[in-house]
Amino acid sequence: MIRLEDIVVRFDKFEALHKINVHVKEGEFFTFLGPSGCGKTTTLRTITGFIQPAEGKVWMQGRDITNVPIEKRNIGIVFQSYALFPTMTVRKNIAYGLTVKHVKRDEIKQRVQQIAERVNLTDDQLDKAVSQLSGGQQQRVAIARALVTNPTIICMDEPLSNLDAKLRVNLRNELKRMQREFGITTIYVTHDQEEALTLSDRIAVFNNGYIEQIGTPNDVYNHSATDFVANFIGDINRLDEEIVNRMQLSPGKKHYIRLERIGVKKDDEGKEDKKDKKDKGEKKDKKAKPGKALKLHGIIESQEYYGLSVKYSIQAAGQTLKVVEKNDGINIHQPGEHVILRIDPEDVMSY
Amino acid sequence: MQAAMPRKQKYGFGKLWAVFGGVLFLYLFLGFMIFPCWDTLKSIFTAVEGDPFAVIRFFFAGNMPSFIWNSVKLAIVLVVTVNVVGISIVLLTEYFDIKGAKFLRLGYMTTLIYSGVALVTGYMFLYDQDGFVTKMLREYFPEMDKQWFSGFGAVVFTMTFACTSNHALFLRNAIRGIDYNTVEAARNLGSNPFGVLFKVVMPTLLPTIFSLTVMTFITGLCAMSAPTLLHYDSINPEIVRLAGAVGAGDDFSPEGRAALLSIILAMFTVALLLILNHYEKKGHYLSVSKTKAKLVKQKIQNPVANVLAHIYAYVLFLIYMTPVVMIILFSFQNWKNVDGKILDFSQMTFSNYVGVEDALIPKSGARNAGKFRTVKNAIIGLFSFDKTKDSIILSFILSAIAAALVCVIVVLAVNYIFKHKKAKSSKFVEAGMLFPWLLPTILICYSYRIYFKQNLWYVFGESLSSPERMRILLIAAYVVVKLPFTLRMIKASFYSIDDELEEAARNLGSGPVRSFLRIKLPIVLPSVLAVFALNFNALFSEYDMSATFANTNTQTLAMVVKGLTETGNNSSQFNQAGLRCAATVLIMVVSGIILYLVYGVGARDLAERLKRREKRRRFFARITGRAGKEEQAKKLA
Repeated sequence: MIRLEDIVVRFDKFEALHKINVHVKEGEFFTFLGPSGCGKTTTLRTITGFIQPAEGKVWMQGRDITNVPIEKRNIGIVFQSYALFPTMTVRKNIAYGLTVKHVKRDEIKQRVQQIAERVNLTDDQLDKAVSQLSGGQQQRVAIARALVTNPTIICMDEPLSNLDAKLRVNLRNELKRMQREFGITTIYVTHDQEEALTLSDRIAVFNNGYIEQIGTPNDVYNHSATDFVANFIGDINRLDEEIVNRMQLSPGKKHYIRLERIGVKKDDEGKEDKKDKKDKGEKKDKKAKPGKALKLHGIIESQEYYGLSVKYSIQAAGQTLKVVEKNDGINIHQPGEHVILRIDPEDVMSY
Repeated sequence: MQAAMPRKQKYGFGKLWAVFGGVLFLYLFLGFMIFPCWDTLKSIFTAVEGDPFAVIRFFFAGNMPSFIWNSVKLAIVLVVTVNVVGISIVLLTEYFDIKGAKFLRLGYMTTLIYSGVALVTGYMFLYDQDGFVTKMLREYFPEMDKQWFSGFGAVVFTMTFACTSNHALFLRNAIRGIDYNTVEAARNLGSNPFGVLFKVVMPTLLPTIFSLTVMTFITGLCAMSAPTLLHYDSINPEIVRLAGAVGAGDDFSPEGRAALLSIILAMFTVALLLILNHYEKKGHYLSVSKTKAKLVKQKIQNPVANVLAHIYAYVLFLIYMTPVVMIILFSFQNWKNVDGKILDFSQMTFSNYVGVEDALIPKSGARNAGKFRTVKNAIIGLFSFDKTKDSIILSFILSAIAAALVCVIVVLAVNYIFKHKKAKSSKFVEAGMLFPWLLPTILICYSYRIYFKQNLWYVFGESLSSPERMRILLIAAYVVVKLPFTLRMIKASFYSIDDELEEAARNLGSGPVRSFLRIKLPIVLPSVLAVFALNFNALFSEYDMSATFANTNTQTLAMVVKGLTETGNNSSQFNQAGLRCAATVLIMVVSGIILYLVYGVGARDLAERLKRREKRRRFFARITGRAGKEEQAKKLA
C-alpha cells in the first residue's frame, strides 16, 4: 500500500530521519508513536509531500510518488489544528477539495451530503461557521473534508491533542469506529502511548529519527524490542542488582518488569513488631531457582487510588517497586502493611 | 531548511512574477523614495556654487534655529500634557469606576472622527477672538484679552486634546490586556486601588506609554495645522512657506533652507524611532490582545477623591465635546447667527449644506438706517458651492485611490515576506516599506514638489510637477506616507493565519494563487479593510501634504476649509464660517460611518454574520407571511 524506503530527511546539516523503512498495509490503522522531536511528524510530512526527502523513495500502491506534487498525491490529511478555513461555512470547507477539482455543483452537493451523514454532521451544522461548532464536531468536519475527495489513505497528525481529556477518549472511540466503517488506510501520529495502543493495528515507535520497533500493540507493550520502547510505552520497573542476582538473570543487561506483572499478597506473618520483622523479613528472602518465580517480602510505602485500580509503591529488596492491582474492593493494602511480592521470570524484559 | 522543502512547481511563471515584482519594487523604492529625498539632501550643499556650507552658515546665523527650538519646545510640553490627558481619559473610562463611563468615552473618542484642520478650526470657532466661548467669558471678565487663543498656548491647548487618539486606542487595549488576577492579588495583599494602579497596573502599561510618548514627541515636532492656523512659528509651516518662496527671488536659497529644516526634522525622527525600536523589542505596541480575565473597574473609596475624579472626568468631557456639539449646531444656523455666535433653535437651516441664497444686509451710512440691500448668491451650501463640492470630490477620489493602492501593495508584499520569511530579499522589502517612517511627511512632499519638476527618464521623460499631473504626485505621496503604518497593521494580521491552513489547501489541490485568494485573503480581509478605512479617513481630511504641494489642482477639502477661516462680511460670500462647520460635520460623518463599518460591521466573524443573516431571513419571512406556511409545512412533515 504505502511504503517508505530508506528515507533520509535533512534540515540544513541536521539529519532528522535516518533511513526510515515502513510498510503500511491496505486498510490498516498504522500509528507513528514517539516523543516530540523524534521524527514522526517529519515522516508523515514526507508521505504527504510537504517535505522532500534527501534520499529514499515513497511508494504508494506500487507507484513511486517521491516527486509527485502535494496536490496530486490523493492523500487526505487531518491536521493537529484541524486547519478548517475560518472564513467558510462547514459545507464550503468540506466542498473545498471538490471545488478545486471542478467537480460539478450537483455532485459536490450530493457528496458533501453523503459524507456529512457518515460522520454524523447534521444539515444545520453544515450551514454554520466553523467557530460555532464544538471541538468534536470540528474534528468530524476535518475528517469529512479529508475523506470527501476519496483519498487513497488518510493521515492524521495528533488530531486529539487539542482537546480536553474526556473528549479525547470519546473521540478516540469515534475515530476508530469511523476508520472501521470507511475501511480506509490510516496513518496516525501521536505521542500519547495510550492512544496508540487503543487505536492501532500496528505501531511504529520512533526515537531520534530511527524506528525502534514496528509491531502490534501487544508486541510493543509486552515484547518491547528495545530499552527505549519498554520505557516509553506504559510504566515499568527497572530491577536492581539484588533482585537480578536472586533471580539469576544475566548481570550485564538491564531488566524490566511491567507494573501489573508483579503479584502482591498480604503477608500475615509480618503483623507483630514491624521494625524487627522488616529486617528479618528481608533476610528470609531466598534466591529463586532459574526459571522459577521469585518471592519477596515488602512493605507498602504509599498508595495511589485510581478507582479501577490501585497503584502501590512497595519497598522490597533494597528498591522501590511500583505495582498495579485491580481494585476488587477487598484486598486493599495500607501504607506500612507487609506484603509478599511474586515476580515471574517470563514477565521480565531484558536488554 | 531549504533542502527539505518540496521542489518548486515547474511553471516558469513563479520566477517571472518574482522578477517582475522585484523590478517594480526597486523602481518604486528608488524612484519615489530614495532619489527625491537624496536630491533634497543634496540641495543643501549645492544651493550656492563653490560654497557647500553657505546654507548651513546662513541658516544658523539667522533666525532659523528659533523654528527648531519652537518645535522642540512644543514637542516637550506636549509629551507631558498629552500623556496626562491621554492616561487620564483611559484610566477614567477603563480602570476607575466612574459613573457614565460609556458616555464619557464617546466624548473622549471624538478625536477619532475629526482631526487636523477640521479640529483646529473647530477649536478656533469656540476660542478665537470672536469665538463662542471667548464671547461668553468676556461677558463675565470684560478685561480679558480677546486674542488669548493664539500662539504657543493655543497650540498646546488644542493639540493636547487633539492628540489623544492613540492613547484612546492603544493604551485602552493595553489596559484591557491586564490580567485582572494580578490586581486582585495586589488588593488581597493589602494595596488600595491607587497603590495597585502605581505598583501593578502602570508598570505593565509602561511599554505602551513609552511608545505613545515617542509618537507624541514626533507629532509635536511635525505639527502642521495647529501652528499654521494659530500662528506659531514651528518647523513645518516654515518649510511650506519656504517651499512657496522658491523662485520668488527675494529670499536667500529658500530651497536649501527648507531642505535643511526637513533633514533636521528627519534626524530627530530617526533618533526617536531608533530609541522606540530598541525599546519595543522589550515590550509590544499595536498589539490587539484579547483579555481572558476581564478587568473589573475599581471604585475610588475616598469620597472626596471620588467626587474630584468625577468632576475631572466631566470637565475633560466638556472640553472634548463642546467643539463637536457647537460645530454641529452652528452648521444648521444661518450666517448671521454663525457670525454673531448666537444659537437660535427657531431658525434652523440647511443653507450651509445645500442651495444658493441671497443675503439681506443693512445698508451702510446713517441715512440708510433700517434699509437693507440684497447681495446676490452670497450664501451657498457646501454641496452647491463649486469650490467646496470639487474639493470634496477630489479628496474622496484621491484618498480612495491612494488607500486602495497602499493596501494592495502592502498585502502583496506581506504575502511575499511571509512566504520567504528567512530570505534576505524579504527583509529588504520590509525595510524599504518602513523607510518612509524615517522621513517626515513634509520632507517627502517637499522633495516630490522640487524633484519632479525636472523631466525624469524614469517617468517617461516627463515632469510630474506640472499642474495637471500634480494629483498623481499627491497620490504617490499619500501612498508612500501610509506604507509603514499599513505594513505594520497588515503584517500583524498575517500572523493569525495558521501555516497548516495553507498546507491543507495545498493538500486539497489548491495552487498558490487560489490558496491566497480563497483562504488567506478572506482571513486578513477584515484587517485590510480596517486599515483601508483608517487610511482613507486620515487622507480624506489631510492638510499637511496637499498644503506642501500648494497647487490649484490639489485643493483638497482640508485646504479649502482652511481657506474659509475669515468671517463672512469680509468677502462676497457670507456664510464661510457656516460652511466650515458644515465641512467639518461632513468629515465627522464620513469618518464616523467608516469607523462604524470597520469596528462594528467589519469586526464580525462568519458566525456572527450567519446569525444576523438568519435573523434577517426570519424577519422578512414574518413580514411577507411566509413563515406561517413554512412552519405548517414543517409540522406536516
